[in-house]
Amino acid sequence: MLITTLYRISKTSLVSFWRNRWLSLAATLIMILTLITISFFMSLLVITGKTTESLKEKVDMSVYFNESTSNDQVFAIQNLLLSRSDIKKVDYVSKEKALALWRERNKDNEKIRDVISSTDNPLPRSLEIKTQNPEDLEKINTLLSNDDYHPLIKDISYRKNKDLINRLVNITDFIKIIGWTLSLVFVLIAILIIYNTIRLTIFARSEEIAIMKLVGGSDWYVRGPFIIEGIGYGLLGALSSSVIYYFFFRFSVPVAEKYLGLSDLNSSYLGINFWAVVGLQILLGLALGVLCSMTAIRKHLK
Amino acid sequence: MTTEINLKEKKEETKEKPDKTLKEAPASRSDDSTVIEFKNVIKEYPGKVRAVDNVSFKIDLGEFISLVGPSGAGKSTLIRLLTCEEAPTSGQVLVAGRDISKLKQKEVPFYRRKVGVIFQDFKLLPKKTVYENIAFALEVADASNEEIKDKVPKIIEIVGLTSRTKAFSEELSGGEKQRVSIARALVHRPKLLIADEPTGNLDPVATWEIIELLFKINKQGTIVLLATHDKEVVDALEKRVITMRQGKIVSDQVKGKYIL
Repeated sequence: MLITTLYRISKTSLVSFWRNRWLSLAATLIMILTLITISFFMSLLVITGKTTESLKEKVDMSVYFNESTSNDQVFAIQNLLLSRSDIKKVDYVSKEKALALWRERNKDNEKIRDVISSTDNPLPRSLEIKTQNPEDLEKINTLLSNDDYHPLIKDISYRKNKDLINRLVNITDFIKIIGWTLSLVFVLIAILIIYNTIRLTIFARSEEIAIMKLVGGSDWYVRGPFIIEGIGYGLLGALSSSVIYYFFFRFSVPVAEKYLGLSDLNSSYLGINFWAVVGLQILLGLALGVLCSMTAIRKHLK
Repeated sequence: MTTEINLKEKKEETKEKPDKTLKEAPASRSDDSTVIEFKNVIKEYPGKVRAVDNVSFKIDLGEFISLVGPSGAGKSTLIRLLTCEEAPTSGQVLVAGRDISKLKQKEVPFYRRKVGVIFQDFKLLPKKTVYENIAFALEVADASNEEIKDKVPKIIEIVGLTSRTKAFSEELSGGEKQRVSIARALVHRPKLLIADEPTGNLDPVATWEIIELLFKINKQGTIVLLATHDKEVVDALEKRVITMRQGKIVSDQVKGKYIL
């Protein structure tokens, strides 16, 4: 019984979809455009978010000590810092280690590498500090800048990173605003176009609908084909935009990775989140399609 | 000329059949047999136009009623009230004791299956065959395929179109189209058949064939409400005639004539 009805309704909506194929195409296209816009901006947000996170991870503070400062004084500062709750890690870098790092960093350039040797090592000892939050670095900076410690310290470097992070946070916020606005605009356009497409289909079939009601067709029989049409736009749109999305990311992720210096983008984004994105697109497409058709058919039922 | 003779012959033929129903209908006018009752019904459209103005009347089981009056007299509104397409501004339309304006939206389709309606313009689907047009009415009412296969040929036979079963409705003559539309209206076995100017587009021969068919249906126990302009038909029927003018019932005669 239910299957028979479902079959009849689906058949009716398929026929109507085909008869109004240009309209249907327009509705499907706008659905694709909307879903693509939304998924792209969401992906961009995830990527910038991840970049910020990984940069935050990399943020640390290096405190370079004067040659005159004794090792005990350095260790005293290290212990002082380690006792604080906002500190994650404090690593001591000795002159030897600094040299090793220098050599490692310049291993391809012999001239620069050999400027510094173990006998003549101007590289200072330092403490590499990682805090729980990048914001906490400011406090550490103030602490180390007071008169007790200032004479011991040659230099503190962290400012550059802080600016970079702030800029990234700003960019993320900007993308958020643009993303939401554009998504909203596209959702509105999609609603208008799909709503009107379904209204035109209703108009094209108004005679049939009038007869249906005349002979006592159940509400679901009248409504059904249009809801299926809406579902069709949603599914078709979601599927197409997923395919586009997949290929776009297939080719753009390696490039993005290279520029942003992220290695986990590919696996986490296309491996796990891709299906989440597809799911989201389908859900959103269905919601849009059904909402539009329900609204469009409502006044024709009474 | 020939058509007139033809018409008279048909009239002679059909005269016998309705006589019985005619006698028993007005005679048994008790509340028990009242199927439809309009109680002080007013229908106002925006702009204070009173299409139906304080109308009250009863229709009993098995009646054949002609509803006449000039254009704009309120006949169509009356019909739309009866098919639940409009709700009265005030008053009640009772069918089998139930106020149909209080039907829930879900119940309306089930009510409509008990009320068959035919129109001057037939309202058939042109791209469908006779069979499909009638089957359509069953399909949208969630009938099973077996039920459709069983019922449709029978109803086509009743309206005498068996040989045209597979013809597309746009290939049919006016009279044939109206028969299809009658068949479609009857497929749910309604208690009431409303005919809104069913002969308005038909030639006299076809007109009389349709009237004859309506008589046949009425004889089998279905109430027929015939809204018409056709003086000749109304006068020949010798049935109850309700005359409307400017939204009011100006006369309700048991064995009426068309008066203007």
